[in-house]
Amino acid sequence: MYIHKSTCISPQQTYSEVDLEKTILSVNNILTVVEPKYQDIPLNILRRMGKAVRMGVGAALPLIKDSKNIDGIIIGTANGGMEDCIKFLNQIVQFEEGRLTPTNFVQSTPNAIAAQISITTQNKGYNITHVHRGLAFENALIDAQMLLKENLDFNLLVGGVDEISSYNYNIENLGGWYKEKEIDNTELYKNDSKGTIAGEGVTMFLVNNCKENCFANISAIKTLHTNKTDEVAEQLKLFIADNISPEQKIDLFITGENGDNRLQNYYNICEKVLDKNTGIARFKHFCGEYPTASAFSVWLASQILNNQIIPKHFIKQDRFPQSLSKKTLSDICNNKVERILIYNNYKGQQHSFMLIEK
Amino acid sequence: MSRIAITGIGVISALGDSVEANHNALVKSECGLSSLQLFKTIYSDTLKFGEIKIENEQLKNRLNIKLNGITRTSLLALHALKEAVNDSKLTKSQIESYDTALIVANTVGGMCLTDELYQDSNSKENGSEYLSSYDCGSTTLFLQNQLGVKGVCNTINTACSSSANAIMFAARLINNGYAKRAIVGGVDSLAKFTINGFNSLGILAPQNCKPFDKDRNGLNLGEGSGFIVIEKESDVDDKKIYAILSGYFNSNDAFHPSALSDNGEGPFLAMKGALKTANLSPFQIGYVNTHGTGTENNDEVEGRALKRIFEIVPPFASTKSKIGHCLGAAAAIESVFSIIALNNHEIFPSLNFTTPIESTGLTPLLEYKKYSFEHIMTNSFGFGGNCSSLIFSKK
Repeated sequence: MYIHKSTCISPQQTYSEVDLEKTILSVNNILTVVEPKYQDIPLNILRRMGKAVRMGVGAALPLIKDSKNIDGIIIGTANGGMEDCIKFLNQIVQFEEGRLTPTNFVQSTPNAIAAQISITTQNKGYNITHVHRGLAFENALIDAQMLLKENLDFNLLVGGVDEISSYNYNIENLGGWYKEKEIDNTELYKNDSKGTIAGEGVTMFLVNNCKENCFANISAIKTLHTNKTDEVAEQLKLFIADNISPEQKIDLFITGENGDNRLQNYYNICEKVLDKNTGIARFKHFCGEYPTASAFSVWLASQILNNQIIPKHFIKQDRFPQSLSKKTLSDICNNKVERILIYNNYKGQQHSFMLIEK
Repeated sequence: MSRIAITGIGVISALGDSVEANHNALVKSECGLSSLQLFKTIYSDTLKFGEIKIENEQLKNRLNIKLNGITRTSLLALHALKEAVNDSKLTKSQIESYDTALIVANTVGGMCLTDELYQDSNSKENGSEYLSSYDCGSTTLFLQNQLGVKGVCNTINTACSSSANAIMFAARLINNGYAKRAIVGGVDSLAKFTINGFNSLGILAPQNCKPFDKDRNGLNLGEGSGFIVIEKESDVDDKKIYAILSGYFNSNDAFHPSALSDNGEGPFLAMKGALKTANLSPFQIGYVNTHGTGTENNDEVEGRALKRIFEIVPPFASTKSKIGHCLGAAAAIESVFSIIALNNHEIFPSLNFTTPIESTGLTPLLEYKKYSFEHIMTNSFGFGGNCSSLIFSKK
């Protein structure tokens, strides 16, 4: 599955002028997105859109507005328009049911993002929304992978969308998933404590079977449900054996490490599966933790493969003490980065492996 | 490519808590719609719903669930899933293998717990036991954990067509080699969220809904769950095969967030695509289980789309006149009903119909009939223009 175009709206400078060097800081353990101006969305429609729908449509339109032949719109989102959802719920409680306005209700259904993209672009093709929490985006990719096997000439929009509102922040916070003390995202991996920082974002990809002029190749995906670290390591070994031939090398291992010490063991054990000389990078200090954060890591991997540069702050430092002064990953690996393996873990229950190649 | 065989079915709805109970009620053309007895909303007495008259504690006892934080949505799903899995005679090692997928459609998740969610999302302390049970994925993760499924697990939400897409996704996983078999279904429970949502759009019927009637005035919300087990036909030894999933298609109407286009392009494309995947001509469809919600918009548009597809529209009806619109569970429950119809050579009527819609002139089936046919189409059209059709065929 070849990526031909992508957009990323994240808490960092990733949309129009990409700057991966600079890290914008979190506020109260939350990284909120830097929203662009959404020039493609008419103002009267934009005003009615909730954040998730706005970000989703805003990231999708630049990829597909000029393409008449988009055959499918496949979105992964755990929560969709969470803010609209709770706004509507608050209306229900505060007005003791009664006569309510439907706008928040219609915007809050997770399929509103894919639906709005199809309405805006008059796209009558395949349209679906995967909502499987920490594997919503991975299931969207699996769906796209299958569609491209079934229809060799298809062009698909596939993406991950999740927003952080004060409501889902409260729910996750009560569940103990965020740090109790306020920290900077730049210090995310230094705290030996439970919890992480909240994030949000939208990543959209235009994918098809055409290798020519592609940006990157998402060559394999595997998902797993377990809380057993051994099983994760076993499955990672199998994934590597199934998808990478012995003469091929993994140049970089990107992990979803998020500073939650309860999950650290999953990452430690997976790092041990890989060759000692594999570079290791992390990304959650940059986008925060959210159910479809793995979509950001795929975008990051495609940027690294294309530019052959990875800013130092992504690199897990303790593995490369001698290379710290050097800025580019190609220096660190002493050769071109051609193959990136991603491992993400959501709440110690949902896991994914993805292989991204040049 | 080996065909996709249905080897197990399970259902719980306002008509009953098993395939047998639902079948009996369908044969007698019973209606499961009523005022609300268990679920509390200001509309309990003024509107009609497809409520399942079994309390959560009773469901928990039946299912032997002692965990905290389990929602009605999850309990209804486990109830139907267990029936389907037992029916299919899947072994424990088959269920727990990496080749078995679990695909669940769901739209309300734990939002049936309006008050708890209101508290938890608006406060900074004293979280309830349901903190990880509000999202749609929570039900699938609960089921995954209960069964120990290790293959691909997924949750799909395309509003009212969710479970048609779940069944389609599961079949494609098998066709593309991602799984050997799949446990797939849909579930939704009554929630203030959806009751008030649909009410704010002015599409809830004050009385029992009248699908395809000129004077129809809205839908009744229902709750329930339907599950099926699907396997490659070539992998099924001497087990019973209920039906073959022969066709499926997904298309978007691309018209309006909460209404279908006048000529029903999305529904038309979904039905046309399903016929194409099944390699069937329209005249081969013996019966259509319509989406038939009873709303002004849906029934007229669906009728028009049916007339565009079929030269002579085959017998059709809407079971939503008996169980209400079960949203994310609708297509799964109605697929089970379709499979029952196909297997028992019978078709089930629509209730509360008197006068056809002028522009279509279509009259649904009004009486229970013994009737032998080979292929049944079932339609599901959702908010956001999400339209999907499935076709089940005799083995």
